Amino acid sequence: MKKRRFWLSCLTIVMLASLLSACSGGKDNGKVGSNTSAGSGNGAQEEKLDKVTFTYFNAVAGKDINTNETTIGKILEEQTGVNFKIEHLVGDENTKVGTFIASNSYPDVLVPGGSIDKLLSSGSFIPLNDLIDQYGPNIKRVYEPYYNLMKAEDGNIYFLPMSAVVGEYISAPNIEQGAFWIQRRVLKEAGYPKIKTFDDYLNLIREYVKKHPGEDLTGYIALTTQDQFFALTNPPMHLAGYPNDGGVIIDMETHEANDYADDDITKRYLQELNQLNAEGLFDKSSFVDNRDQYLAKIASGKVLGFFDYRWQVGQSMNNLREAAQQTGNDDLEYMALPIVFDENIKDQYLDPPSFVNNRGVGISVSAKDPVRIIKYFDNLLTDENQILSNWGIEGETYSVDENGRFYRTEEQINQTNAEAFRESFGFKYFEYNWPRYGNGSSLPDGNSVGAGRQPEVAQMSYSDSDKKLLEAYGIQSFSQLFAAPDVRPWYPAWSIQIEQGSPAQIFTQKKSDLQRKYFPKLVLANPAEFDKIWDEYVKEFNKLGVKDYEQLMTDEVAKKVDLVQGK
Amino acid sequence: MSVPFLIWLIIFKYLPLWGWSIAFQDYKPAKGMFDQTWAGLKHFKFLFQDEHFVRVMRNTLAMSFINLVLGFVTAITLAILLNELRKVVFKRVVQTISYLPHFISWVVASSIIATALSADGGIINDVLMWLGIIKEPILWLGEGKYFWGILGVSEVWKNVGWNTIIYLAAMTSIDPSQYEAAEIDGAGRFQRIWNITLPGIKSVVVILLIMNIGNLLETGFEPQYLLGNGMNVDYSENLDIFVLKYGIQMGNFSLSIAAGMFKTVVSFILLFTANHIAKRLGEDRLF
Repeated sequence: MKKRRFWLSCLTIVMLASLLSACSGGKDNGKVGSNTSAGSGNGAQEEKLDKVTFTYFNAVAGKDINTNETTIGKILEEQTGVNFKIEHLVGDENTKVGTFIASNSYPDVLVPGGSIDKLLSSGSFIPLNDLIDQYGPNIKRVYEPYYNLMKAEDGNIYFLPMSAVVGEYISAPNIEQGAFWIQRRVLKEAGYPKIKTFDDYLNLIREYVKKHPGEDLTGYIALTTQDQFFALTNPPMHLAGYPNDGGVIIDMETHEANDYADDDITKRYLQELNQLNAEGLFDKSSFVDNRDQYLAKIASGKVLGFFDYRWQVGQSMNNLREAAQQTGNDDLEYMALPIVFDENIKDQYLDPPSFVNNRGVGISVSAKDPVRIIKYFDNLLTDENQILSNWGIEGETYSVDENGRFYRTEEQINQTNAEAFRESFGFKYFEYNWPRYGNGSSLPDGNSVGAGRQPEVAQMSYSDSDKKLLEAYGIQSFSQLFAAPDVRPWYPAWSIQIEQGSPAQIFTQKKSDLQRKYFPKLVLANPAEFDKIWDEYVKEFNKLGVKDYEQLMTDEVAKKVDLVQGK
Repeated sequence: MSVPFLIWLIIFKYLPLWGWSIAFQDYKPAKGMFDQTWAGLKHFKFLFQDEHFVRVMRNTLAMSFINLVLGFVTAITLAILLNELRKVVFKRVVQTISYLPHFISWVVASSIIATALSADGGIINDVLMWLGIIKEPILWLGEGKYFWGILGVSEVWKNVGWNTIIYLAAMTSIDPSQYEAAEIDGAGRFQRIWNITLPGIKSVVVILLIMNIGNLLETGFEPQYLLGNGMNVDYSENLDIFVLKYGIQMGNFSLSIAAGMFKTVVSFILLFTANHIAKRLGEDRLF
């Protein structure tokens, strides 16, 4: 008995010890040697620093990788001695970030999405002001014009947004944001008509389906799953001639915010969809399908039209493009159209130049060596490294002509479009998600920083069928079909930060719950009952306290306008 | 002897109860325990006054109840059927196949279910149309009234094999001589099941029932979250999803804890009631 007790207590001790070590472990990986000499400036070139690995969390799904396993990351490691172990999101962002907060242990660098407010309010980021002053001459050069917009209420900068435009603004040749998309065969058969109104657009689809019975075509489809419900609720705003401000429309004159969820524009849009459904042209499964099913349907080429943002359906569009390249037939590809309700409305699909100040990259309080990290960030923001992360290596992934203009040969374009190459070379990890020259930036010599916005590249990347299509519409690039964006200093209103758990946030959640319930009902209802259900919805909606929310947004817009105008 | 386990129990089961105090605060994660502002019963009030709450509770209880009844009936039936099998190979095959789905995560399982129920090319609609039972495909996940049924069937598909294991184990403890004696007395197969097998596993059934009643508010979260959508939200949203939306996703941890407390207290009451009833009826019980 005595012997047994002895062994049992041994076992207990061992178990307790292993528990304790399990709890304290994990803090020291990556700290391979961080004996940097602080204060020696950004002399990554002058001194050979020990190699060090930091952790980096990106709140989107993707493949986990070490940056030095990519070509770009390797070069950056040679410059700075820093490698990042990139971890991507698995599952739900808010849950993951919640675990970080609850355990108060973070990766060194964080790139959150919508959960950034939560991290800010929990004090997860370190203030960067002093670090930038001391070690970040390039960061200062790029971001100083936007300091007003970046500072939190306490005057500190906690993260670097990725939208700081450097140099002259270059607008995008292709549609990167929202639009009504239509299959090219529909346009082709109708003789490439100029379509402007929602009615024309839907009629085009109606006629095509009528002419092609028995082909199992889907007229119109929508994406409605959990986090992507906005793809169904945003179109009324665009149809009424406003850019994507989120759940509100901001008046151009008075800057007053209006939640359009109960407005006539929403009713009109839903009524059109309801009509479409009654004719059997709307895909009823839109309301039950998950995102994979939706993407599969679009990639199948059976869907004639839909509204969505390019970055949401990019995967399917790329698949269709690859197929079109093989067959030489672009019938199943899509074209973006600036559809509005009435002839006299000016479309505003293209984003005005803007500074998105609620997304960005920050250094966490758990970071072991913020100085090395900020130096790495600073080093990224040299012209040379921006060229490296966007264009790659001269002679390999881009070429320069005798006038100093950057371009890509057809071969280089195909290579840099291939997903596998983008991963191994590192474009996929470095074009975005780091401190960078924002979209539309240009270099001092006039070249575009982003390869996609360089007119030479855009022209070159158009296939023969693209060119034919452009010619039919008398334009040089696809975005020319769209009206130029008006100046909106508050844009985008969706980036206004709403306090966690505040009445305004509860309102948006309740609104979304309500819409999730009523929009399917409204679209799928018998057209005769539409008005009745709409009235019911509006009644429910008015109970939620929309006035307070609108007031808050109006105030915040005014604040942002003042900040931008430097008041 | 038991001291290490007592320590373990206190550290891991009782000390965390201190965290319940968060339910009475406006908890902000970055601040220390003593810098928090106290909010009294604010979060409980929000929880119970929200008009969603009644619906959410109804769904939670209804889905739990369906799972409980279906789970028991199907698992016991399958266990009896398997027990009657004489061919060992066939028995093993059936058992393996029936408990394989248990190891699929709900994320994958719900994708399989959604695809099977899909209105374009889903196997359920195809079969029903082929049999002439329905004329056009039904949006199974788009009709709230079907949701509880779909969930119940899915749970059975996923867990029935797993749940039989404990009953099969209980059945092996029945003395074979009882069966022989019954056979000599002229009892048929069904009489043997009714008079020997079922009474033989009764104590296990009662204990499991008591424990599961204690878990009535834990319907699980994944299937409802993954299969739920705007059209069936009236039937699919349960307490856990409500807490996720208005608590965790909004950084309102206090509300989440308040809901957790509520669940624990209700479960506690249910467990004790069930146990008490079992005691009154003179049955085996948990404690």
